[in-house]
Amino acid sequence: MPTAAPEHAPGRAEADGIAARARALTKAYGSGETTVLALDAVDVDIARGRFTAVMGPSGSGKSTLMHCLAGLDTVSAGQVWLGDTEITGLKERDLTRLRRDRIGFMFQSFNLIPTLNAAENITLPMDIAGQKPDQKWLDEVIDTLGLRDRLNHRPAQLSGGQQQRVACARALASRPELIFADEPTGNLDSRAGLEVLGFLRQAVDNLGQTVVMVTHDPGAAAHSDLVLFLADGRIVDEMERPTAEAVLERMKRFDTLRAPFADGKGSPGDVRPDGGYHPDGGPRPDASPEKSPEGSPDKD
Amino acid sequence: MLKATLRSFLAHKGRLLLSALAVMLSVAFVAGSLIFSDTVTRTFDRLFASTSADVTVTPKEDLESQIPSGATPTVPASLAQRVARIDGVADTHVDAAVENITVVDRDNKSVGPTTGAPTIATNWYVTDRSPVKLTSGHAPEGPGQALLDADTAKKKDVKIGDTLTVLAQPGSFKVQVVGIATFTTTNPGAALVFLDTRAAQTELLGSPDAATGISVTAASGVSDAALKQRIEAELGRNTYEYQTAGEQAESSAASLGGFLDVIKYVMLGFAGIAVLVGIFLIVNTFSMLIAQRTRELGLLRALGADRRQVRRSVLTEATLLGLVGSTLGLAAGIGLAFGLISLMGAFGMNLKSTEIVIGWATPVSAYVVGVGVTFVAAYLPARRAAGVSPMAALADAEIAGVGRPLKVRAVVGALVGVAGAAALVGCVVSTETGSAASLLGLGVVLTLVATVIAGPLLVRPVIRVLGGAFPALFGSIGRMSQRNALRNPRRTGATAAALMVGLALVGGMSVASASMTKSFDDQIDKTLGADFVVQNQNFQPFPQEVTDKVRATEGAGLVVRQRFSPVAVRLPDGKRVETTAAGYDPRLDDVAHVTYAEGDTAAALADGDMAMDVEFAKDHGVRIGSTIPVEFPAGRKAELKVAALTDQDTGDGFGTQGGLYFGFGTMEKYVPDGQDSALYVNAASGTSVDQLRSRLEKTLDPYPQVQVRDQADYKELIRNQIAVLLYLVYALLGLAIVIAVLGVVNTLALSVVERTREIGLLRAIGLARRQLRRMIRLESVVIAVFGAVLGLALGLVWGVCIQQVLALQGMKALAIPWGTMVAVVIGSAVVGIVAALLPALRASRMNVLAAIAHE
Repeated sequence: MPTAAPEHAPGRAEADGIAARARALTKAYGSGETTVLALDAVDVDIARGRFTAVMGPSGSGKSTLMHCLAGLDTVSAGQVWLGDTEITGLKERDLTRLRRDRIGFMFQSFNLIPTLNAAENITLPMDIAGQKPDQKWLDEVIDTLGLRDRLNHRPAQLSGGQQQRVACARALASRPELIFADEPTGNLDSRAGLEVLGFLRQAVDNLGQTVVMVTHDPGAAAHSDLVLFLADGRIVDEMERPTAEAVLERMKRFDTLRAPFADGKGSPGDVRPDGGYHPDGGPRPDASPEKSPEGSPDKD
Repeated sequence: MLKATLRSFLAHKGRLLLSALAVMLSVAFVAGSLIFSDTVTRTFDRLFASTSADVTVTPKEDLESQIPSGATPTVPASLAQRVARIDGVADTHVDAAVENITVVDRDNKSVGPTTGAPTIATNWYVTDRSPVKLTSGHAPEGPGQALLDADTAKKKDVKIGDTLTVLAQPGSFKVQVVGIATFTTTNPGAALVFLDTRAAQTELLGSPDAATGISVTAASGVSDAALKQRIEAELGRNTYEYQTAGEQAESSAASLGGFLDVIKYVMLGFAGIAVLVGIFLIVNTFSMLIAQRTRELGLLRALGADRRQVRRSVLTEATLLGLVGSTLGLAAGIGLAFGLISLMGAFGMNLKSTEIVIGWATPVSAYVVGVGVTFVAAYLPARRAAGVSPMAALADAEIAGVGRPLKVRAVVGALVGVAGAAALVGCVVSTETGSAASLLGLGVVLTLVATVIAGPLLVRPVIRVLGGAFPALFGSIGRMSQRNALRNPRRTGATAAALMVGLALVGGMSVASASMTKSFDDQIDKTLGADFVVQNQNFQPFPQEVTDKVRATEGAGLVVRQRFSPVAVRLPDGKRVETTAAGYDPRLDDVAHVTYAEGDTAAALADGDMAMDVEFAKDHGVRIGSTIPVEFPAGRKAELKVAALTDQDTGDGFGTQGGLYFGFGTMEKYVPDGQDSALYVNAASGTSVDQLRSRLEKTLDPYPQVQVRDQADYKELIRNQIAVLLYLVYALLGLAIVIAVLGVVNTLALSVVERTREIGLLRAIGLARRQLRRMIRLESVVIAVFGAVLGLALGLVWGVCIQQVLALQGMKALAIPWGTMVAVVIGSAVVGIVAALLPALRASRMNVLAAIAHE
């Protein structure tokens, strides 16, 4: 156990169960000299029926964490469970089925298949699975999101906010165990963004869903029940019932901390001319967070 | 700008690969055919030039016929001595060479080539110009000894000491192989049997005083032309045919040239198809590359590149592609020529591949075709690229060009289509073969162009129907694949057009050939009344002893002989028509059903009378009772009275213009040494047809060149001959499909790249790899089937029109091979599946995360 990890895995409190769990989750890119640790032995529990936000500066590993929890990416070390299923070590085919049946997704942009209309996009995961959607639930979701009169529209005929609402409906439609939202408001104006966040909140409060949202916007994070702060591949803090101001304050501390490491953008294997990375070189899976490279494959 | 172009070319080399392949294929066929024909022509020019005698004297042949009479024209052998006395003649040889023979081994199997090349029996003498030399055994001495050429001996496993039977016109005889002669030059593919000169004259020509020609060697210092003149002066200008070595080489080369031309045109046909189909592929590739690079091009424009520079940049890229493709194609063409030459070797024509000839015209045409095609195909996309506005760099357009209206296409397509349809209607109503055929050609081209232009407009309605069941059958995967195919009608249209061209050709040709087959079947049903026909596969005549043996066969009742001869008739309207006439035994009515407009069989076959087709007679002012001067071979002349006019559906065809026939006696009188071409045999009363058949087959066992056929077999024979035409079309189709598959692969592969994010999203929300592959496969299938349906519909229209033109030639039946059509549609679906293999694999291998994070 790395010393910097909190004693208790964050997010465990006040939950009626654990929707997803990671233990010593490590994700490294590259090998040898150029190894970059995107996630450094992360322990995390995602509480069922709650809205969890993952915050962190660019390159902190927050998208990688989400990809690993959602079975989109493989891990370098550690274990991940979805409910009682350990997904680390599952075969590609089983992972695909798991994503299809048990996880809902919302992405920042390009969420919908352009050739399908809204209704078809919403039921797509179930159609792929060859399952009949639960019509009552579906109606409830559609009405909650106010999409009733948009069902026959193709994505190109919808506004950005409407598109994200359709994506939200799709994520909810199969009543998944867990919904992952990756910067769902990143491409929206503030009004449409608030709307989408409101729906995610409703999904948790009224529909009993579990949502994990990755964001770098303190305002968005403020809609959650719990904020996990990620920096340099580790969970460094958490905040219950957050407000935008508190989150912003917390984030500012990262900036001061990170100042010597410049902007934090970069890609795996990026070698900086200033040699700021790996002062001592070599693979360091147990490196302390201060020395961890900030470059990661995160593209927010 | 050039640097940017080069970079772009290299960056997209993967995506240009299939286009380069298409260019390569067309260039390969152009180059291959040129190299092959240059090589063969030079080889044979050399062969004929080196083996022809200085001067040859042969019988005068004034009549040529498509159907051989079986007679061998001769000159007296004594001519050799007469010529030898002429001043300037160093030496003379008697030639006794015939092609109307069959040579069989101990098991009654023919040792001749199976390729249609002749078996030649000739007399053995050696000069420095002989194309063969004795390599084992000894020269034939006296009757009963023979040499065989080494290639045939090897192929048919004949060894020195083996006995062969030569089935010659005067009668069959046995020979023992005493030696093997090997070609010192190129073997043109024939089987050669050498006999002692006297034996050859007696056994092959029926008389020791006959010869098929005299070869003359000039004394040193006497030119061939001068010697020819002296011989001509001595023997008389019109008595014989005289040729110098040069003239003979030329005429031999000309007769071979026809065969080579066929190969050349077939190859150029392949090249044409490859070019035509390749154009679609290249247009599509460049359109897609430009659509994908809209932002990049917009940026170039925003940075100050003007339209011309952008266009030039795209065209330079196309030219580079053309150069690369042509270079590869030239190399592949050389390979193809080598392949063809060794294929010829398998048919017995041993060309030496070391003597391969690459004339200057070959690389020039290769590069002109390759670069030209690419340039032309890239021109429209290049113009479109130049039209990209600088704003495109900033806009977030998904795919450029999707929404552009198809109005211009609709108008142009409709105009060309109407013109094409008008031409086809014209061809159907036309009553004159020549104008009908040219209208047909025009109509075919115009309708093809119209369909290609209007193709994208048909994508929506047709694919809605074709893929209509997809959502029901395959759920949302089916729905997405159908809509993906509909997404960019231009692209789908152009991709399918490649397949359409090939299938339209096949559709048309298969309707035409099915109609021809049916017409012949109908005609055979209507006219052939005999139980059996005894005939050679290629309608070549056979020796008298076959006829004798058939007549002697137990249970054979009536035997009616058919014999052909070339004739020339001088008609009342002053025209001289060279054609082929037939002679029959009297009871023709018992073996054939002939419809007469006037007169009857008895009148037609009576001594001094003849029958003529009623249409032909009308055209040339012939009436019943007209006396017509008829020229036969070897200068024999007759005056025959037209006593019957026939009204058959097919007077023409097979070179029997005019439908002339007369009694067998007339034929024997004027063509004394002819051979029978067919025997129509009826079973005697008390003998069953099956019994007769097995007995006839037993009788004919030693004569592998002739077969017994009943009506069904006879239809089969005709059908097989028509089928040869179809095989060629199928080969063309095969090539068109290969390139069309490349096109579908190309389109799908580029579409997959374009849809990377979409595929990533689908995979993220749970689409399995297998399902993704199925989605791409279904899209491919629907595109391919769209092309097939369009092509077959067009081909069907063409086929019906072709049949209408053929009907003017008497082929009145229309048959549509629905089975073939359905098979082609199913086949095209398979083609779609095959084409989707690689793109689907690539899409399913795509990393989900990389796909989501795309750009």
